[in-house]
Parts: sequence; C-alpha cells; structure tokens
Amino acid sequence: MAMNFWKSSHAQQWMFDKTEIWKQRAEDMKTYSEDEYNRLNIFWANFITAVATECAHSQANVGCKLRQQVIATAIVYFKRFYLRQSFRDMCPFLVASTALFLACKVEEHTTLSVSSFLKNTALVLPKRWGVTFETTSAKNGVLYDSEFILVEILDCCLVVYHPQRPMVELLDDFRLYTNSSASPTSPLKDFESIEAQCQKVINDTLRCDVGLIYAPHIIAISSILVAMDLMGRGEELEGWMVEVDVDMEKVADCTDQIYKMYTLWRSFDEKEEVKKLMAKLPKPNQQQMTQQQQHHHHHQQQSSSGYHM
Amino acid sequence: MSKRYETVKHLGEGQFANVYLAKDLESGEMVAIKKIKLGSREEAKDGINRTAIREIKLLKEIHHENIITLRDVIGHRTSIQLVFDFMDTDLEHVVKDHSIILSPAHIKNITMQMLLGLEFLHAHWILHRDLKPNNLLLNNMGRVKLTDFGLARFFGSPNRNYTHQVVTRWYRAPELLYGARSYGVGIDIWSVGCIIAELLLRAPIFPGESDIDQLVKIYNVLGCPTEESWPTMKTLNSYVSIKPDSETPGLNFIFSAAPQDLIDLLIGMWTFDPVKRLTCTQSLQMDYFKSQPYCCLDEELPLPNQKPPKRTRRLEEDGSHPARRLIFE
Repeated sequence: MAMNFWKSSHAQQWMFDKTEIWKQRAEDMKTYSEDEYNRLNIFWANFITAVATECAHSQANVGCKLRQQVIATAIVYFKRFYLRQSFRDMCPFLVASTALFLACKVEEHTTLSVSSFLKNTALVLPKRWGVTFETTSAKNGVLYDSEFILVEILDCCLVVYHPQRPMVELLDDFRLYTNSSASPTSPLKDFESIEAQCQKVINDTLRCDVGLIYAPHIIAISSILVAMDLMGRGEELEGWMVEVDVDMEKVADCTDQIYKMYTLWRSFDEKEEVKKLMAKLPKPNQQQMTQQQQHHHHHQQQSSSGYHM
Repeated sequence: MSKRYETVKHLGEGQFANVYLAKDLESGEMVAIKKIKLGSREEAKDGINRTAIREIKLLKEIHHENIITLRDVIGHRTSIQLVFDFMDTDLEHVVKDHSIILSPAHIKNITMQMLLGLEFLHAHWILHRDLKPNNLLLNNMGRVKLTDFGLARFFGSPNRNYTHQVVTRWYRAPELLYGARSYGVGIDIWSVGCIIAELLLRAPIFPGESDIDQLVKIYNVLGCPTEESWPTMKTLNSYVSIKPDSETPGLNFIFSAAPQDLIDLLIGMWTFDPVKRLTCTQSLQMDYFKSQPYCCLDEELPLPNQKPPKRTRRLEEDGSHPARRLIFE
C-alpha cells in the first residue's frame, strides 16, 4: 500500500517516544516492573502467534493459515490497546482473540469463527505455558462487544504499516548496490538466506516496543543490520550503509532495542515464568464484570431477534 | 449520542447503519452521524460488518476536499458512531430534478471535482469500485465529495483476485461484466464516463437489465470491441460473443449538443481495453478542461429546490434545511 506513511493515522497518532510509552502504561506498572513488562511483551507476541497458528492445525479450519501480516497487525492492535487501557480494564486473552478477529477482517482475510480463537487460547495456554484458562468468562456476546471496544480504543486507526514492505525494497537496493562497481564489497552470496534471516528478525521486532516508536523503514534497516550481524556478515553492509539516506541515530537506537529484546528473550524461561506473571494479572474490575453478565443475560432473553444497541 | 453533538432528527436507516442529522455544538456545523448497528443474531456472529470496517479503515487514512471526511468517531460500549460532513444532496437528485438546468460550465465543474477526488484515491492505491450518481454528494457550497467506501479497497495487495460483483450494473465496466478477477483504476474511470453522460442526458446511458443486456446497451452505443481494440477480451472468464441490436448512431449523434472535446473525453473513458483507457490524471489534462466555457465556480452549482441566486448559508442559520438524502443507504 503506497499511501504516504507520514500522513497516515499510524504516523500521526501511534508513534511515541519511550518515556511516553511507559507513562501510558502507568496503571499496569503498579503490578509489573519494567523488566517484567518487557518479558510480557515477548510472551504476548508468542501467545498471539500461537493462537493464530493453532487455527491451521485444528480440524475445522484446515487450510486456513493466517498470513504473517494478519498476525503482525493483531499484535500491534494488542499493544496499542494496552497503551490506552490497563489489563484490569479488559482481559488480555479476550483482547488478543478480538485483535486477531479484527485483523483478519481489516487485512481482507477469511473470517474465522469468533469463538475459535478463544478455544485455541484454552488449548495453547496450558500446553505451552502451563497456564489454565476458562473460556466461559468470555462468551460470544462479550466478544462482539469487545470488537466495538477495541475499535474505539484504537480510535478507528486500523491500517498498520509493517516494516516488511520497506525491507523488501531495501534488500533489493542492497543487492543491486553490491552488484555495482561502486561497491567496495563483492556481490552478495546466498541472498535467500539473508532474506530469510531478515524476515525472522523483523517478525521478532514485534516482541519489543520499536513498532510504537519508529517508522517502518527504520525498523526495516535495523532488522537488516541485526540479521547480517547474527549471520556474522555485518561487514558486507559497510559500503551500502553509507549510501542509504536515513537517520542513523534512530537506527542505532532501534537496533539497540532489538538486541536488548533478544538478550532478555534468551534469559526468559517462559515455561516457568509465564505462570508467575499470569498469577499477578489483575482481575477485570467489578464494573465490567457486571456489564458482561448483564449483557450475557440480555442475550439469552432475546433468543431470535438479535440485540439492539 | 454524545455531549458534543445534538441530534436534530433521524435521517434514515440503511443496511448496517442508522443515520442522524446532528449539530456539532463545538463548531455549530451540521453533521451526519452514522450509527453502526449489529444486525440479527446470525449477522452478529461476524461482529462489525466488513463493509463498515472497510469504510472506517480507508476514511481514517484519506483526507481530500473531494472525499467525504470522517470527522469524528464516538464510541460506546456496544456501538460506534461515525461523524461525517453533512451534505445537502447528491448527484442522483440533481439529475432527476428537472427544474434544475445543468449548463456546460456546471457539468465541467462537477466532472473536474469528481476526477480530482478519484485521482487522489487512485494515487493512494484505492479503488472506489462503486461510483454512481448517488455516491457523489453535493453540499450547499457546491463542493462535490465521493462517498460510500464500503466496497473500496486497496489494490495491488497480495490477494489480487477480487470479486467482479462490484459496481452497480449500469456503471460497470465491460471487463467486470465479462467476469474479470483482476482489474484496476479503469473500472472507476468507466463509471465516471457513465456519470458524465447521465449529467448530459439526465437519464442513465446504459440502463442494462441483466449483465448481458448491459453489454448490449453498451455496444449499441459504442459498437463492438474487436480483437484489435481489446486483445485480451476473449481470455476473460465469462466472455461471450455479443452482437449489437442495431447500427451505432455514434456519440456525436447521442450527445448532439456536446462539444468535440467532451466527446473525446468520453471516448477515452469508454475505451474497451482497460489498459488503454484514460486515467484520472490523463482525463484532467484533456482539452475539455482547457476550453471555454470553463468550469463555473463551485458556489454556482445548482441545488434541488432552491432559488439559485440567494442560497448561501441557510443551513447554518436555522439548521432546518430539509435533508434531501442521506449520506449512506
């Protein structure tokens, strides 16, 4: 999509500096330390990916594999939601399922039945993280409401710019450059594995906050840097990096955050720690529970006529 | 509603929304508020209607004076209300109101505003896919705005195969009638040609009663495409060979009062081969826009049921101007 990024709702409303982000999370910072929240960031992204991937395995949804872009959009929705709301306001498992549901629609993907994401949640959580989850707390009626709530909290900003597209262009440029006579390095070998590694790093950037801070092309360049470095081929970038017109200070900072996330991820024993983190998760506040129950009740009463607003 | 907006009246109910006329207490302007509803329980299973999602998603990103503005979004626990500019009427009403005289300068102005809005959409890789007179709104300042983005979507996205069941039949391009699954900006330009013709004739030019009849109506006016004029025609999914009913009288005969530069514009917009059809930018560069009579001023455009000379801000003054039509149906 070739819309002007700088005029998009993404650029105008959803890019912050680091201090702003932590300020907006103040309510949840009463429960979690910054380090714990960073671990949660990794967990939520893994969890949402797992719920989405589980769909491909379940019998009812054979052949319905969610594209990476849908998953990425859902993770961004989730992160944006919890900038404006706290875990106490709405159950994060419900928000995750709703985010996937909405992302499917926005990215023009086949709709999965709304409850299937919650069913997958109940499947995936104990299996991978040893956490139990009751779907009864999030019946369908509530899920429909949750979509309205999500869209509202997102302020209707549904188009998300991902770094994948600029990355493809940048890699192309990189390859052409190393093929040219201007290049101090020799033409790239094994370009496919570079592409694959970059793709992997770019998906991993969803596990930290860079998507809320930097424009997609900054994240793309940083991902290329990290990917080449992880492959031990960092020096091959030298000539090209000089040619690329980009704010190197931002790239350096973004790269730094990606490395920090990898370091944290390596030390993060999900099987052990997620249980503890989830035990601390604040219960949804009383007011919301009452509304959910009322709504559920209301839903049962009106069996065939549907419910009105 | 909300504290900022005071509901004036219910304007109408559409497939997935109720529309209200309201007053924005902050700016004093009239607005149209579209309240998206959950349908029956069966429909509710899919949550917010996909059409509504598309509309919200696109309008939140595009800002142009010839495209309807999503001014605000009011959220409640169980509903979303979209606040749009209030528009007094639409081109369908203008065309059907025979007390209105559309001069060549009026038509040139409307055509240009239409093309400017559409050019902006296309430059942002968005196809409207449902252009027709009642999706072109007109306000009392003579501003034309494209609306109803429920079918619009980004083109060039990975899933390139689109449905061909878009665009109200009378405004549908021949490649869509032949079941093309991959199409581009040409489908919108074809519709613009049909709308210009309708402004001239005050009746739809190709009022087909079925998809086949639609092609017959088109070929009766334009003649049949040939291998030469449209080489890929026979590769389309539902291609059938169609013979026109009669000899084609030619566009000069049908639009006997139209100058040649306008006929040339229509010929360019109705080129059978989508690849050779004019784009918005090319259309705007045609001689038609460089010749006299030039476009009238926006505020000179006529509105239904209003006395032409003194028609300034009645709406803002008393807020009681009859809403001719709703923004969305």
